[in-house]
Amino acid sequence: MIKPIDDFVSLFGASISLEESLIVKKRNRYFLLSASLKKLTLKDFFYAGTYLGKVKNGRFFPGFELLRMMAEKKANKVVVNEKTEWLFICGRDVFKRGIVKVIGPGRKGDHVLVLNCYGECLGFGRVISDLDKEGVVIKNILDIGDFLRREARTL
Amino acid sequence: MKPLHLISPTSSFYEQLSKLSLMSSKEFFTDRYRKLGWKYHTVELKKTIRINSANVKKPPDLVKRLQDLGLVLTKVPFLKNGYWVEESRFSAGATTGYLSGLYSIQEAAAQIPATLFTELKDKTVLDACAAPGGKTTQLADLMRNTGAIVALDVNRQRLTALSNQLERCQVKNTIVYQLDARRVSQLETSYDRILLDVPCSGNFATDRNWFKRRTIKDVERNAALQREILTETVKMLEDDGEIIYSTCSLEPEENELNIDWAIRNLDMRVEEISCHGQEGLTEVFGKHLDGSVGNCMRIWPGQTQGFFVCKLLKSESA
Repeated sequence: MIKPIDDFVSLFGASISLEESLIVKKRNRYFLLSASLKKLTLKDFFYAGTYLGKVKNGRFFPGFELLRMMAEKKANKVVVNEKTEWLFICGRDVFKRGIVKVIGPGRKGDHVLVLNCYGECLGFGRVISDLDKEGVVIKNILDIGDFLRREARTL
Repeated sequence: MKPLHLISPTSSFYEQLSKLSLMSSKEFFTDRYRKLGWKYHTVELKKTIRINSANVKKPPDLVKRLQDLGLVLTKVPFLKNGYWVEESRFSAGATTGYLSGLYSIQEAAAQIPATLFTELKDKTVLDACAAPGGKTTQLADLMRNTGAIVALDVNRQRLTALSNQLERCQVKNTIVYQLDARRVSQLETSYDRILLDVPCSGNFATDRNWFKRRTIKDVERNAALQREILTETVKMLEDDGEIIYSTCSLEPEENELNIDWAIRNLDMRVEEISCHGQEGLTEVFGKHLDGSVGNCMRIWPGQTQGFFVCKLLKSESA
């Protein structure tokens, strides 16, 4: 697979398989196409298929569909309660008391997907403290509230 | 003494009329609506959501989930996936369900055009004036992410908004180009289905300053642009293809008169459709139009904003 994507996915102890011939790079952004879309794709498109993420200053920033794909597979995840779900999509970190379930080792330094009780991926963060300790345990890195922040920027 | 040329021989009948009269813009337009058979009244639009059915296994469960959060929803009787938000304690556009693409916020009449295509799965579809993307995501939903949608718009900022909508709604079958619909032939692709939700003058139901902002000149300029878009996109339609043409304008120049023009100049015919609304006008300010223009649907503001929609096919002789 494409190295930046592969490296990012492996941070979560996950593995996904993407057809490399269907991945296109437009400047610093990666998109996954379907076969029928690939036939129609010219060089100067603005957006195409599934947005996988972008590389900026050497770092990979994932698209939400990539996170959703990972959430469907084996990966480090935490499930949070309703109140924490709301706080997380508002950009807040996760407290120990908001976690309902931990899937995977959940060690300090691990990257984890954050899911609500319906299994919907809300974003991801990094474990900054042992998950059995009180206080903030997961640092929010990206959450779906980003769509609202982007809307506000484009208005 | 030099004569005062208020009336130019090239200006339209209505332009001349508005120059001559002391009517306000509001009086001018509402008088036109009266002549077309509708009495002006103010309307209060309800917010409407559309469930992205491809992303929701059981729509009733999502409705219950939103109701548990404090949204009071009622089903829009003429839409399969539309619900009016009667009351809400918070913004319907700030829930996890919305941000996860389980539903979109889309005005009720605006949900009609995409549903009028016959069979969309695996088709190649052009959304010629796509931003901000409400109808594009609806098309992708109806196509269950199969086939391909080519979505065009000219404005880069609006394309960013469109791309965000596509990502939020988990759309996988769309390619977006920054391109004027009048230059669609550059892409060298023909289409089974074309959605022409063309740039239009809008209507007072969604813009409280509409009457202050709009003149008949704007309407005529938009109508001319719409005819140009129609002309260029028709060239890229497969012989057995379908075009859905829609506007949120109440002005016949952008609607029935343009469709009458397309019948006469582009060898198109108007297919009968079944949806919310009234038959299109076949007589406009004394001008008799082709009878098939009655197959168009006109929606006067009330339960929804004002809207116009029709389905165009290549005529057999074309």
